[in-house]
Amino acid sequence: MPSTSTEVRDQQFSDVTASEIMVTAASKEVRDGEIAVVGIGLPQVACVLARRTHAPRLSLLLEIGVADMDPVDIAVGLADSRIFYRATCWSGFLDTLGMNLHRGVVDVGFIGGLEVDRFGNVNTTLTKDPDGKEHYFNGSAGGNDVASLAKRVVIIVRHGKRKLPNAVAYLTSPGFVNGRSRADLNLRGGGPHRVITDMAVLGFDNASRTASLVSMHPGVTVEQLLENTGFPLQIPDPAPITPLPTREELRLLREEIDPGRMYLR
Amino acid sequence: MSDKVKSITEVVRSIPDGSHIALGGFAIARNAIVFAHEVIRQQKKGLTLSQGVMGMETDLLVGAGLVVKLIVGGGSLDRFGPVRCINRARDNGTVIHIDSSSLSLAFGYLAGALGISFIPIKSLLASEMMERLETAAPDYLRRGTCPFTGEEYVFLRGITPDVSVVHVPISDRSGNCWIHGPRWENEEQAKAGKRLFVVTEELVPTEYIQRSPERTIIPGHRVEAVVHQPFGAHPTGVFGCYDYDSEHLKLYAEYHKTPEKMNEYLQKYVFGTRDHWEYLEKIGGLRRLNEIKAEAIFGY
Repeated sequence: MPSTSTEVRDQQFSDVTASEIMVTAASKEVRDGEIAVVGIGLPQVACVLARRTHAPRLSLLLEIGVADMDPVDIAVGLADSRIFYRATCWSGFLDTLGMNLHRGVVDVGFIGGLEVDRFGNVNTTLTKDPDGKEHYFNGSAGGNDVASLAKRVVIIVRHGKRKLPNAVAYLTSPGFVNGRSRADLNLRGGGPHRVITDMAVLGFDNASRTASLVSMHPGVTVEQLLENTGFPLQIPDPAPITPLPTREELRLLREEIDPGRMYLR
Repeated sequence: MSDKVKSITEVVRSIPDGSHIALGGFAIARNAIVFAHEVIRQQKKGLTLSQGVMGMETDLLVGAGLVVKLIVGGGSLDRFGPVRCINRARDNGTVIHIDSSSLSLAFGYLAGALGISFIPIKSLLASEMMERLETAAPDYLRRGTCPFTGEEYVFLRGITPDVSVVHVPISDRSGNCWIHGPRWENEEQAKAGKRLFVVTEELVPTEYIQRSPERTIIPGHRVEAVVHQPFGAHPTGVFGCYDYDSEHLKLYAEYHKTPEKMNEYLQKYVFGTRDHWEYLEKIGGLRRLNEIKAEAIFGY
């Protein structure tokens, strides 16, 4: 076992990108036979990778009303017909977000966001200038529903001080708000389970309900991690290293799942 | 069976200023563009719009300055960027916005469609949407408890739009509609409306509908008028009919960055065209439309 994360990366695949490590780590967050609600982009790439590797019986739901699609072309978003191809069911919000997610049968929900804070709260609604002026963005769509109701929530976001602030500028989708338990918040879903970035995998401390390091990606240093995180991050010593994608995982990602590199930048 | 086919001009003329209109698009899919253009040409003012996930139709209407209130779950143009006219209006406070979530809109329309005055939901709790709306918009949602279990819920007011407008691929002259592909909140939204208009790509004989009536998502008896307009959702896509027009969406994504440029867009493509046929000529005509036409197997 090499001693530093940089060595691991150098010794194996020098051309592995942070996105590939991120998406492979995200793929490990679903188990075979589970039901996941996903958005387009890295979450979908991660779930397709999981289906082609350890979780062939993973069910995927898109909020727009698509189940278990098997597209041949990469889509630009949820409303792109490319993502409707070879689905096993076409329905709508009442089915996907209602009779599945609201009913409580969705195991994992993947969401992204403008900001994620130390309690796993997610902002997809707006940014604020220093003077408090608000600049609106896309809003919740199904994000709040997924964060409120999925048994586990996996948040995928690029790492950076402004992306991971101490407190979100607007709380669109609740995590452990103010460190409170989900029962105390009257929420049915289990709340945030992982935050997966291009630098690390974060989890949540059972007692404080704040984010802590699970593993950092090969090539990343503790200093870089602390410098790029807007909240105090508990880091175990030694810090565990996220496993690199296997050769087969890389082949699937590069040749079959996202050959045009629309999402795996 | 009654013949309900009307022109878009007639349909829009029947809608009073200040109406609440539910729109059936989702981001860049099945937007009622022909309807939005005609509303802009006729300058219907003081509108309330509701929708699960807003797209270009809503951005056009807000950009044209005709909207005073939005009741919505979210919105974007997918990879073509945010809904900038809408976001600018929210930033500047020129539009009242009741922001919730996709499922909240679907539940609200479901309650409206069922004729019940409210519906409990387990979304929104502990969010800032809830915090802001509880004080700013108590007419739309409140906290409440289940009378049987005592569990805490958000109670959403049932939504009953004055008019619902849904763009569909197939309808007969009586308004029996099929929707291919996913249909987000279209069915509940259509049935929640006090009046319902559909715009269809293709007008088929009723005998065709009668061959597979299980595919009818919106039954004709609820439909007031049917507008027949091929490529009526352009530049957004209609599954099974045509792909979204990435060239025109890229162009729009440039124009809607500033109010001045947006006005140029409206002058050129909406006020500068008499109807949708002229608009379709302007965006590239038959040659362009043939390029985005769906391939039979893939549906895009």
